[in-house]
Amino acid sequence: MVDGMNRRRFLKVLGVTGGGAAVVAGCGIGPEPTEHLIPYLVQSEDEVPGVPTFYASTCRECAAGCGILVKTREGRAIKIEGNPASPINAGRLCARGQASLQGLYNPDRLTDPFAKDASGKLGKITWEDALGRLTGKVKDAKGKGIVFITGLEASSFGDLVDEWMKHVGGRHVTYEPFAFEALREGNRMAFGTAAIPSYDFASAKYILSFGADFMETWLSPVAFQHGFSSAHGFQSGRDAQMAKFVAVSPRMSLEGLNADEWIGVIPGSEGLLALAMAYVIQKSGGAPGDAGRLSDLLNRHRPALVADATGVDAQTIERLAKEFGGAKGGLAVAGGMAAQYPNGAEIVAAVNILNYVAGNVGKTVKFGAELAHGQAGSYRELTGLMADMTAGTVAVLITHGANPAYSVSGFTAAAGKVPFRVAFATMLDETASEADLVLPDLHPLEQWGDSRPRAGIFALQQPAMQPVQSNARGAGDVVASLAGKTGSFKDYVQGRWRAPKGQTWADAVQHGGSFGEAPSTSTRLGADAGKIFAGAPATAALAGGKEEYPVIVYPHYALYDGRGANKPWLQELPHPVSKIMWQSWVELHPDTAAKWAVENGDYLLIKTASGSTARVTVWVTPSIRPGVLGIPTGQGHATYGRYAEGRDVNAFDLLPAAANSYGGRTFTVMASVEVTRDHRYLATLEGDPREGGESIIELLTLGKAASLHAGQHPFEEQEVPTYTDSAEAGWAAAQREKTELGNYVTRPTRWAMAIDLSKCTGCSACVTACYAENNIATVGEELTRRRRFLPWMRIERYFNKSESGSVRAVTTPMLCQQCADAPCEPVCPVFAAYHTPDGLNGQVYNRCVGTRYCANNCPYKVRFFNWFNYAERGGDHEAWPTPLDWQLNPDVTVREKGVMEKCTFCVQRIRFAEHNARVEDRALKDGDIVPACAQGCPSDAIVFGDLNDPHSRVHALSEDPRGYHVLQDLNTKPGITYLARVIAGAEA
Amino acid sequence: MNPLKELFGGAMTPGVLGVFGHLDDTTRAVKDLKAEGREDFTVFSPMPRHELEDAIDRPVSSVRMYTLVGGIAGCSIGAWVTLYMSYDWPTLVGGKPIGSIPPYVVIMFEMTVLFGALNTLVGVALNALRAARREGTIPYDPRFSNDKFGLFVPCGPDKAGATEAWLKQHGAEEVRRA
Amino acid sequence: MAQTAAPGTSGARVTYDYVTRVINNTLGNPSKGYFALLGVAVGLLTIGIICLLFILRYGLGLAGYSHPVYWAVFITCFVFWVGIAHSGTLISAILFLFRSAWRTAVYRVAEAMTVFAVMTAGLFPLIHIGRQWYFYWLVPYPNERGLWPNFKSPLIWDEFAIGTYFTVSTVFLIMGLIPDIAAVRDLATGWRKKLYALTSLGWRGTNEQWRHYSRGYLYLAGLATPLVLSVHSVVSWDFAMAQVPAWHETIFAPYFVAGAIYSGVAMVISLLVPIRKLFHLEEVVTISHFENLAKLCLLTGMIVGFAYATEYFIAWYSGPTPENKAFWYRAFGPFWWAGWTMNVCNWFLPWILWFKKVRTNLTALFVISIFVNIGMWFERFVIIAIHLAGEPFEPFVKAGYNPTWADWGIMAGSFGWFFMWFLLFVKNFPAVSISEVKEVLPPPVRHGKGAHA
Repeated sequence: MVDGMNRRRFLKVLGVTGGGAAVVAGCGIGPEPTEHLIPYLVQSEDEVPGVPTFYASTCRECAAGCGILVKTREGRAIKIEGNPASPINAGRLCARGQASLQGLYNPDRLTDPFAKDASGKLGKITWEDALGRLTGKVKDAKGKGIVFITGLEASSFGDLVDEWMKHVGGRHVTYEPFAFEALREGNRMAFGTAAIPSYDFASAKYILSFGADFMETWLSPVAFQHGFSSAHGFQSGRDAQMAKFVAVSPRMSLEGLNADEWIGVIPGSEGLLALAMAYVIQKSGGAPGDAGRLSDLLNRHRPALVADATGVDAQTIERLAKEFGGAKGGLAVAGGMAAQYPNGAEIVAAVNILNYVAGNVGKTVKFGAELAHGQAGSYRELTGLMADMTAGTVAVLITHGANPAYSVSGFTAAAGKVPFRVAFATMLDETASEADLVLPDLHPLEQWGDSRPRAGIFALQQPAMQPVQSNARGAGDVVASLAGKTGSFKDYVQGRWRAPKGQTWADAVQHGGSFGEAPSTSTRLGADAGKIFAGAPATAALAGGKEEYPVIVYPHYALYDGRGANKPWLQELPHPVSKIMWQSWVELHPDTAAKWAVENGDYLLIKTASGSTARVTVWVTPSIRPGVLGIPTGQGHATYGRYAEGRDVNAFDLLPAAANSYGGRTFTVMASVEVTRDHRYLATLEGDPREGGESIIELLTLGKAASLHAGQHPFEEQEVPTYTDSAEAGWAAAQREKTELGNYVTRPTRWAMAIDLSKCTGCSACVTACYAENNIATVGEELTRRRRFLPWMRIERYFNKSESGSVRAVTTPMLCQQCADAPCEPVCPVFAAYHTPDGLNGQVYNRCVGTRYCANNCPYKVRFFNWFNYAERGGDHEAWPTPLDWQLNPDVTVREKGVMEKCTFCVQRIRFAEHNARVEDRALKDGDIVPACAQGCPSDAIVFGDLNDPHSRVHALSEDPRGYHVLQDLNTKPGITYLARVIAGAEA
Repeated sequence: MNPLKELFGGAMTPGVLGVFGHLDDTTRAVKDLKAEGREDFTVFSPMPRHELEDAIDRPVSSVRMYTLVGGIAGCSIGAWVTLYMSYDWPTLVGGKPIGSIPPYVVIMFEMTVLFGALNTLVGVALNALRAARREGTIPYDPRFSNDKFGLFVPCGPDKAGATEAWLKQHGAEEVRRA
Repeated sequence: MAQTAAPGTSGARVTYDYVTRVINNTLGNPSKGYFALLGVAVGLLTIGIICLLFILRYGLGLAGYSHPVYWAVFITCFVFWVGIAHSGTLISAILFLFRSAWRTAVYRVAEAMTVFAVMTAGLFPLIHIGRQWYFYWLVPYPNERGLWPNFKSPLIWDEFAIGTYFTVSTVFLIMGLIPDIAAVRDLATGWRKKLYALTSLGWRGTNEQWRHYSRGYLYLAGLATPLVLSVHSVVSWDFAMAQVPAWHETIFAPYFVAGAIYSGVAMVISLLVPIRKLFHLEEVVTISHFENLAKLCLLTGMIVGFAYATEYFIAWYSGPTPENKAFWYRAFGPFWWAGWTMNVCNWFLPWILWFKKVRTNLTALFVISIFVNIGMWFERFVIIAIHLAGEPFEPFVKAGYNPTWADWGIMAGSFGWFFMWFLLFVKNFPAVSISEVKEVLPPPVRHGKGAHA
């Protein structure tokens, strides 16, 4: 605000604001000016105003290929939800998938074809011109080297590109910054097959993760998290068991937060730990016969021998091994950080061996139903291409869905040698901005396509609405015409689609594709499985000089490899671990920080041997091993739209350019560190660093939890004054009589929620769902730093010490508790906060004058205030520059400046369901109403329903012995029951 | 321009005005007048003096009734406003009774004070006005607001001389006919 | 103390006539210095108005609020000014009922201060709400929304309390003024004559007028006394009714009332010292008056100190509770400096008022009174902003807070607004009660003891 201050604005404010009321109303003081709605002139037959239409499609934010349902209202996509029919994500969706809407409506999308003129500036041209140039160049370049770079395309588009390249004698390179070379190489070493198996988390009895961030970005996060939480979540009632989860990695990722035990190993030594465990298991017998071939390898890695190298003492290794082996049907996965060391492939192989020895291969590790990620090209391919380009043997370079110029430092220079560069893109990213010809692509939500994420699955993608940018064209169509195909790309896709028996194309499109299961094949140990980790006794693979520290560069949960950085929802989504928004940071252990005398917000200058540097702010956290640094990717864009540009550092720049032994890229570098004097405030959701070790979360050990039986309430505390109950009951009854006619309340309801913390992983998908559903404004970095954010739903993350002093992270969603005796209500002078007959804390935005008393009196601090007019056109803090505002949910008011807002259990969805019930002339059923957060939750942690309905799930859960209410001694009688998190282990 | 003149300009009351420099003189004069059974005189003083009040000895002002009535009215208005408005559109907040008395007591109290005070003002004004109907017709001396006391004795022109003498003899520093 | 404290200790010079003239002289034509002061006040007010315009245009975000600090400087100023407003009615009403004669010389200044302070305080709730243009929704009037305000909300109590207090104290001030305006009317000339003739409502000091007047005044005092106690109690309940630790306290009402009178008396001293000097009222407003004010200051200061002690004790005594955490945060949290400013200025400093030497030394009194004002501002700031920042229920949202130019600008504006009115008043109306000062003078009598005219 102050910075945006200049003389003109100053005078304007004095003049205009000082002016009469008429003027005043027009410019932000007083009520918002009236806007006029224009009804349909000609009613389209499949559009009922006010009733949403859903289109099944496939999410293309990553290669997991989750099925999605696009909710459209009056012809505009307003929300994306998981497609229950899809076997991948079974109706759930992660934050990135939901945020793809902001890619669709991004205000900085490319509108027209552009071409570089002589001066090197991009200028608008027509499609005819553009296609003319392209075909011409391609014809000339025939045989002189044509390269088409795409992202991982296990799809018809990929096939089409292959065909075209074959036809014009070029080659098709697929590039993913986070590819899976190590995984494939490791599998080849261990099993002789470079395929990527599917991992069955759901049926695992003991889960062991070596660096794999399988709930963040690794392979198929939604599917894995869904499986994980059903295995790891504690079910009261049945055999009251749960799979223990141990996370082995130098830094806590989302997985670390959920681990019953976090083993912060020395970076690069994960493989040794796996082998040592395998040794123990094999010695205790029960390993498959052919595992005997490994004995000398395993003997070289007895726990005692690797203890120093791993930083984990022998007893712990022994114990873990016994637990894992004894579990009969555990699952160990290696990936993420562990698969990005120079010795990543061997680590993967070692973990495969561990799985094999424990007899999990074929049970929880299923080859046959392979994941498409195996088809991603290796980093070596790209470096090879860069060499060719530098050598000048590439005449035409076409890119689509890949941004190597951002993620590979040397790429721009190399591409500079290419005479003609073409980019299909929706945004002008680093690669596109270098291109000579930029072709505006349609967003996946606007065009046809498909995806085959897993053997047996043919997921279809259909346009959910008319293109936002009328002059953009789908890359599929363009390439199809270039490749001389008759008919549209849709016909091409339909042509490649093989109908399972009994399914029509219409069916397939309607359900989002054809979903089958591929049979799993049995897998034996590969020939050279024993050859890994030759130079025994092995040590950590990271060689570095004195005063050099391992820096782990890892994919940002929301921004991933940077493709999410142009979406405000993702930028303002507090990172599940660091809770930081809009910024880059470097994770530093308190001990290390103390040694260097730095604290939160201080700048570090990180220098790698290769000479590249990064200036990044410190976030001090116990979630990383002392002496190790961690930096997320995703920020530091030179060009990628207003939300991404010029934010902090691009962590990719730190990485070595050369491919490593297994053709992959090394994401852990040794670097020296220089402490600078500079400081800034972190834009974080966290008020107070580490909350002074306090927390509002209840924990139970598995033993304790299993011993609880129905009727017990270990966390029960307060008793309630009877007059409050009678007051509510009597009043609610009276209200209902009043509203019998023309209203929907038929029986006493109290809407309530139950949140199972043993399932909740803190993945924050619910947060984005809430932003999307409720038109919550994103406020940008400056205001976030000043704590002006409005997350109705926030995930609180606490680092507590367990009884034995090891770090234990716990997370809980915090949203409006819809208290029966709500402190916020009586203090409002104008009844803007009041209690509805069905037990909600209503918040009437139009009635609110903004005294903010309610927010002060709310002990949960879940009320948020509109400090500025975030909807103001061209305002300093405009949250929805057109066309982002097309996404706004018409069922929810856009709040004006000066009013308080908060969660109301998606009251619009409640009313919608109630109306439907009345239209269908039936009573509401349990499960009719699903709030956005519960709908999106990949872990089924959130259950919503009527507390007063004895048969509802939420009623049953609220009776659960693990149930507790936050701050229940305040006697606010919250509507949200939390089920205590259960720790599979001796101590909580 | 004296507003009272405009409002209550009547014919001047015939009589004699005596200007006193001393409190005790004034007091004695008033006492003697009373002794003669006269009530129609007017005393001027720059400040209230209990000596004078005792000497004049009029009944206690009726203003207190106004205060009482105002207070009671205010209290009941407060009660009515809060309770009626609560039940007119019953809205539940924080599980509290719709019409919960304790918080409303505050409003009732404030209204009591407000109406009590305003009505007191009205009382003073009305009484002053009533008095003014007569006082508008008698002479005044600016010194009365400074350091002199005054005593006006109404009387016909025929008695004027005698009254003047009587006032002088009672210590009036100067006398004036009206 | 009544007689000894009466003016005129310097003997025969102080007669009715002297009093009338010396006070009448305070009116006259203002000096350059006066205009300079007025200019400063108006300048500050302008700054405040400009900041307000910006807030109206762009929103409250310009101020330093954060999550969870939803109330801060504006409410602090509100409570501060309401507090200032308290000594006036206390001195004029309560001391009137106690018949303590020394009040006569100082109560007019105090009362004027009261009225203007309430006028200032009343602005802040309007400034601080998010949609200022809907402030009238808090007023119970039949409206198209068919909705009445929520009388369970302490904010509505506030509205009524402040409203009543403003009305009654204004009535009280004007009532007291009438005879004095008459007195200056009879000396004045020109436009002032017209003004005073109008505003004195034809006062002549007849026995009938005095009879009703003194009754009315008595009952107003009787009503104002419980009112003054109630007003700051109600203000304190804005906080005590909320369950924020360090707000939710039963002692808040007496604690706040004492604090209010404390700050009010301090402000009276800060105002009276220069006025006495500028207007040459040494004979009328004597050292003994200041000493009495100082004693009042000391008393209330001790009460406030005791309240602080009680708070800390209970916090400690209640064990590991949010209350406990809150007060730990107040004393040793990131805002420790604010907490200790408040303790030093309000709690420790006043102890030196035990010494008569200090109580009778105007310079010392002036300095102390300024410190007390600062301290009392910080008391409210600590209670409101700091305890919201250190919110101990929800460890995750405990956060920092920094006021901005908007906060300070509007606060400066409030001082400008207050002093503008005050300066205009003292130059145009008797700043010391003429008739009541005369009341406590020995009357001129021919026989027996008394001052001869």
